[in-house]
Amino acid sequence: MSISPENELENLEGNHACAVAAIAAGCRFYAGYPITPSSEIAERMALELPKVDGTFIQMEDEIGSMGAVVGASIGGVKAMTATSGPGFSLKQENLGFAAATEIPCVIINVMRGGPSTGMPTRPAQGDVMQARWGTHGDHPIIVLTPCSVKEIYEQTIRAFDLSETLRVPVVVLFDETIGHLIETIDLSQTNNRKLVERKWASGPQEGFQPYAMTEDSIPPMPRPGDGYRTHITGLHHGESGFPTQDPGQVERFIQRILGKLDQHRQQVESYEAFECEDAELLVVAYGITARAAKRAVKQARAKKIKAGLFRPITLWPFPETVFCSLAKGTKAVLVPEMNAGQLNLEIERHCSDSTRVIPINRFDGEPIAPGQIFEKIQELVSK
Amino acid sequence: MIEENIQRFDIRDYLRTHLFPHFMCPGCGHGIALRALLWAIHELGISKDKLAIISGIGCSGRTGAYIDAHTIHTTHGRPLAYATGLKLARPDLEVIVITGDGDCLAIGGNHLIHACRRNLNLTCLMLNNETYGMTGGQVSPTTSNDRFTTTTPLGNYEPVFDACALAIGAGASLVGREITMHVTALKDLMKEGISHQGFSFLEILSDCTEIYGRKNELGESAEMVLSQKANYRSDSYGNQVDEPFKPRDITTGILAKNDRVEYLDACHQHKMSKLQKAMNT
Amino acid sequence: MVAMSESNMINAQTDESLKEAPLQEITTNVLIVGVGGQGVIMLSKVLAALCQEQGFDVKQSEVHGMAKRGGSVFSHVRFGKKVFSPTIPQGNADILVALEWAEGLRWLSYLNPEKGVFIADTQRIVPPFACRDRRRYATSGYVQESVEEVINQVPNSSAMDAVAMAKELGVPKAANTILLGALSTTLDFEVDNWKSIIARFVPPKTVEANLMAFDTGREWIDNFDKQTQLENSVTAVTSPLEIWPVEQNQAVVEINAAWCKSCDICVKFCPERCLALDSQQIATLIKPEACTGCRVCERLCPDFAINIHTPAVN
Repeated sequence: MSISPENELENLEGNHACAVAAIAAGCRFYAGYPITPSSEIAERMALELPKVDGTFIQMEDEIGSMGAVVGASIGGVKAMTATSGPGFSLKQENLGFAAATEIPCVIINVMRGGPSTGMPTRPAQGDVMQARWGTHGDHPIIVLTPCSVKEIYEQTIRAFDLSETLRVPVVVLFDETIGHLIETIDLSQTNNRKLVERKWASGPQEGFQPYAMTEDSIPPMPRPGDGYRTHITGLHHGESGFPTQDPGQVERFIQRILGKLDQHRQQVESYEAFECEDAELLVVAYGITARAAKRAVKQARAKKIKAGLFRPITLWPFPETVFCSLAKGTKAVLVPEMNAGQLNLEIERHCSDSTRVIPINRFDGEPIAPGQIFEKIQELVSK
Repeated sequence: MIEENIQRFDIRDYLRTHLFPHFMCPGCGHGIALRALLWAIHELGISKDKLAIISGIGCSGRTGAYIDAHTIHTTHGRPLAYATGLKLARPDLEVIVITGDGDCLAIGGNHLIHACRRNLNLTCLMLNNETYGMTGGQVSPTTSNDRFTTTTPLGNYEPVFDACALAIGAGASLVGREITMHVTALKDLMKEGISHQGFSFLEILSDCTEIYGRKNELGESAEMVLSQKANYRSDSYGNQVDEPFKPRDITTGILAKNDRVEYLDACHQHKMSKLQKAMNT
Repeated sequence: MVAMSESNMINAQTDESLKEAPLQEITTNVLIVGVGGQGVIMLSKVLAALCQEQGFDVKQSEVHGMAKRGGSVFSHVRFGKKVFSPTIPQGNADILVALEWAEGLRWLSYLNPEKGVFIADTQRIVPPFACRDRRRYATSGYVQESVEEVINQVPNSSAMDAVAMAKELGVPKAANTILLGALSTTLDFEVDNWKSIIARFVPPKTVEANLMAFDTGREWIDNFDKQTQLENSVTAVTSPLEIWPVEQNQAVVEINAAWCKSCDICVKFCPERCLALDSQQIATLIKPEACTGCRVCERLCPDFAINIHTPAVN
């Protein structure tokens, strides 16, 4: 990072960067409940929101805070909550409501050891599948996994932009290590950015269909008070917004909400491909593990081993097309994760039979070290 | 007589008539409560565009959809949480919560007590029919003693929750109770609750005729409505010397009212005083 | 037991003396009337207790239990050296205290036509039976006599708006105590004795308010001037029932059969029995001429299937 007068350098902890980014993205409502290791986000929001005429509220529980976030978003205000493991479990029902009713909202999950109370102060990456499938039923969701303080800042802003434009809940998933990591970041580039606005309903109120089948699959949202007087329900609903059990209407509704992420894949997908072009051995990693993996890949390259790193930033939906093209022709794909093996299942799904998928798992509350990955690489090459 | 003085109230002006007849059972008290609410809204002159109705899950939760306003049918027990978010984000909206005894007191009990404590300017209407009607009539926190439900085949032996006492204890600044038979009084109470600056909790005793009523042989719809009368005792008789026979006292009307500062007002005042201090130092 | 036998002895003695004088001369008859919830019983209890304390034989006979507002309540209080009959014969009441206007007029025949004192509250509580004809514009069955007409006819009469006075004092429930104050001026008991009895009967928190109301009633009687009241009362009392222009008016009952779910509430609640369920179990108006447009059916219909249209009032 070059230091120039235009740069606005700041030393920020990951959790703080997340809060500052939310404000920069236009977030004006935060509801949360204290939980380690995400509490700093709430604390920073409590400090920042009053300065911009926003609202901070510490709710009675995790469920209530998710409800309040969805309620505020229905009111037309960009809203966010932050939590960790057990709290994320509690939020799932209302997260599903937001997905089904297409209410934009951002949920930060700072992962800690699990299951249950687990290891509140230790890092883990055990919520990868929960972030995708946490709430019941088929539903669309976007999950972003930053790997540095800078990226927490960028991806939190992006989370709001995606959520608002696509009307999908967005989870920002990072582990305790990055949440509590302090790094210097440059805030100047994002400070004067244009805020992304939700597509609001306009035009005639008579006969307005709040869940109409639009070309982009994203119906404009009616703002309360604008005269549309629509109904929002977690029940399956037709284009009118009213509950329906008509198989045709239900199918079209589910197809649209699931399909819209496919339709906007270009916008949703993000990844980093490092030294992948000629890689015979691909490491797939995200979050703090990706930083260790990058170092291992560099070490391997120094030893003339053709290793590469594929780092999905958008974890869900998984950037499968890019990954498949990169994985094609590789001999092995290494998947280091701080869990007992979650993303490796997705990777296996996308790899051909000739490619071996080798998980590297650690779930003892310690991050995976570069050496551990490098050793595995060497071991594979020597075979 | 009075209603003629203001614009005539036709309930259909406030309903999504294309959804009718509604899904509630014959004689369901929720319909009467809904009339009282819309009548109150009419008399208060609240614009439908500025009205947000938030409801939970259950029979009570489904009543909101029939109102021609911005209606939100949320998750089980959580309407107060959603309402808190919406009201904080949009103080210009009139936010009214419709919930039931199970929704509000069982699964959503935590949200209720904290909504009472915060005193945000919301109105919470709890339609109490003593049962989980939508799921077939299971025991609820307000099911009377000895009543039969599908989960109390031998009669209910669990103590009954006094929702109003709970709300008063938790600090709601207006607490009231009314029976659906008293439509006019119910409307007036709702007007009081909605115009009150702060959190108002109103318990509305409503009849589940088809499920709870049948199971307990409480009579036809009309008999059930009439028996509300036998069970109730107006507060104005409270201190009289002679007390006629009363099988089960239900006090109605406003049970508690205080002028605790409203949440957003408190928030604003607090900010102002901090600013003042900062300027002085 | 001792007290009992002693009082029996006294009674026995007075029985002897009573033979010499007519009953009316030594027994005072106070009739207190009103409707349920106003405090008739309370008022008569205070009077009876005071008389007893002053050494009189007291009999108190009352009809109550119609405590729901609107029901007639009355209490006969008779005291003297020895009282036999518990009830006051017609034309023999020395004092008639009416807490409600129509009740007062109803009991006027019990007042001693020459010497009787009539103290009335002008408050009007219209009972349900006075509204038998519920059609709009119908006249009510409530007494039509004006206050001045009555005051003119009854020699020793005074009519006060005790409810308004009590409201002014800030104790709206103490209207009966104001009337008690007025009553106290006609009986020969010490003011302090009245007050100590009142203090014993009313709830502790309200003692001060009630004593204040009592004094107000006394003062009012002291300053009472019949002539002034007659001059002022023309506009002082208005009926709570609006007097509609007498003309027949038909309400229109609109029943939306598609919304009706046959719950039968409207049929069973209709005070005129003019609704029924038809062969399809849908609510139908069977006696349109009997419908008064009272809206009970409309308001209790859980399905919003009934709409009543009544022409707007000018």
